[in-house]
Amino acid sequence: MSKLGVYDVAVRYGKVPALTDVTLTIEEGERLFISGPNGAGKSSLLKAICGAVATSHGRIEVDGDLLTGRTPEAIARLGLTMVPEGRDIFGTLTVEENLRVGTGIRRDKSAVENDIEEVYENFAILGERRHANAGALSGGQQQMLAIGRGLMTNPKLMLVDEPSLGLAPNIVDQVYETLVNLQKDRGLTLIIVEQSSARAARVGGRMVLLRGGSVVGDGDAKKFAESDVLNEAYFGTDKAEASS
Amino acid sequence: MNAIPQLFFDAMSLGGIYAMAALGIALIFGVMNLVNFAHGEYIAFCVFALIVPSTDAVAVMFLGKAPAIVLIPILLSIGAAVAVASEFFVFRHMRNATPVAMMISSFALGFVIQNSLLAVYGSRPKAISLWPELNTPVSIVGASVPLLQIIVILTTLAVVVTLALLLKKTKIGLEMRAAAENFTMARLLGVKANVVITGAFALSGALAAAVAMIMATQTGVADIRMGGQIMLVAFIATVIGGLGSLPGAVAAGFLIGAASVILQGFLPLEARPFRDAFLYTLVIVSLLLRPQGLFASNSAKPRV
Ligand SMILES: Nc1ncnc2c1ncn2[C@@H]1O[C@H](COP(=O)(O)OP(=O)(O)OP(=O)(O)O)[C@@H](O)[C@H]1O
Ligand SMILES: [Mg+2]
Repeated sequence: MSKLGVYDVAVRYGKVPALTDVTLTIEEGERLFISGPNGAGKSSLLKAICGAVATSHGRIEVDGDLLTGRTPEAIARLGLTMVPEGRDIFGTLTVEENLRVGTGIRRDKSAVENDIEEVYENFAILGERRHANAGALSGGQQQMLAIGRGLMTNPKLMLVDEPSLGLAPNIVDQVYETLVNLQKDRGLTLIIVEQSSARAARVGGRMVLLRGGSVVGDGDAKKFAESDVLNEAYFGTDKAEASS
Repeated sequence: MNAIPQLFFDAMSLGGIYAMAALGIALIFGVMNLVNFAHGEYIAFCVFALIVPSTDAVAVMFLGKAPAIVLIPILLSIGAAVAVASEFFVFRHMRNATPVAMMISSFALGFVIQNSLLAVYGSRPKAISLWPELNTPVSIVGASVPLLQIIVILTTLAVVVTLALLLKKTKIGLEMRAAAENFTMARLLGVKANVVITGAFALSGALAAAVAMIMATQTGVADIRMGGQIMLVAFIATVIGGLGSLPGAVAAGFLIGAASVILQGFLPLEARPFRDAFLYTLVIVSLLLRPQGLFASNSAKPRV
């Protein structure tokens, strides 16, 4: 059984279709990049999976459990967590309070304190600023907090929407390094929206290409990065970053 | 004569009532962007729950006769129950409605409650006597102050401190604050929407009951219209405080109470009947200067 199965899924906002007939499966422990131009429906796909938007058609399953009709809070209890585009950290809460919001669903309460320390080990700056208002963090720090906050729900499947958005390249490197390490340590299944196929190829993994709300490509990220045709078509040229 | 301490106690006790009523509104606005105009009617409902249902002009105390130790928890529960019921039967079905549609339905609900009271109790204000001994003045720092005023001030402080601790130290409090800032994100992290919203309504209703007890004792009247009057001031306080900001609602409640007492005390005699015109002029000025509210925080906006 696949970890996650998305079958014939459609999402629309009023009359505007955002996704049409998207089908893809992902196996446990896999790393999947979702790429595609602006407006392709990448965020909509992630939102449909975590229950933030309703699907108008199709099925989504986690470990064979049907998600359709479940609330976001019920889906979170199945071990799925979302790190949204724009991070959506709670700016009026402290850094540590942000980390604790998602711990209510855990059965292993005794492990919570330990896991918080682990987040601080992974992201030292969060530990230093644990009592500061999260709204005062920089963009990169907020991204780290959003990832840490997701981890605190003790997920098996983590969806990360454009972690590189608005961050300096060296910070992006750091974020990806941590994601990859976390995945190794915890056996996480990871789905990451990443616009840069060069970046995806460097980190390594499978890549699904979305365009106009449909899947138009699925394969090894390296294959896509080497293909200038796709880069030209979907991202404009991406060579500058690929060769750096 | 000691006018300053007297003014101080007047201002603090009136402000305390406004602050508690404003808190009840701000709590609900925080978690579901609803300005609940039925809140004033929760207060009226609780006042009328003290007396035997009848349209007679003379009120017979019913629950109001019970000893305080029984009366207080029961009335707080009644307030909570009315608020939770209105969420369950009305607002729960409007989660995806626009804020305006929700606000209109809260008006409608308010009228339903008010007219139900009208049908059961009649329209004439009734004299009631709840804890009349609390209106006896006591001497404190040279001022002669009704005991009730001191109780109101202490109650408000206790409520504010308890609420602050609840929000700051408990799991449901953390979830409420997270949900108030970003409901969808909180749910994605497993926070149960129904639990948080029901909790907020229960707290809000209990606050309405506390205000009801104070108003009943202070005025000695049960009046169908009392909900609307306090609701107006409380709503203004939540707006001035910055909609949804709990500390803002408390501060603005006290501010309006104080302004109203000070105007009453210092306006020339001829102008006093028009005190409210001066008060609401201050409200307009405050909103012109700080349309987002006096205490709205800017920290919610992430720096990117
Ligand atoms: N809340 C919304 N209301 C209406 N239309 C929306 C909404 N969110 C997204 N859309 C539309 O749905 C389509 C897909 O949007 P989506 O955000 O999923 O794309 P994306 O691939 O994540 O884009 P980006 O790279 O800019 O983040 C777009 O046409 C967008 O305009
Ligand atoms: Mg997007």
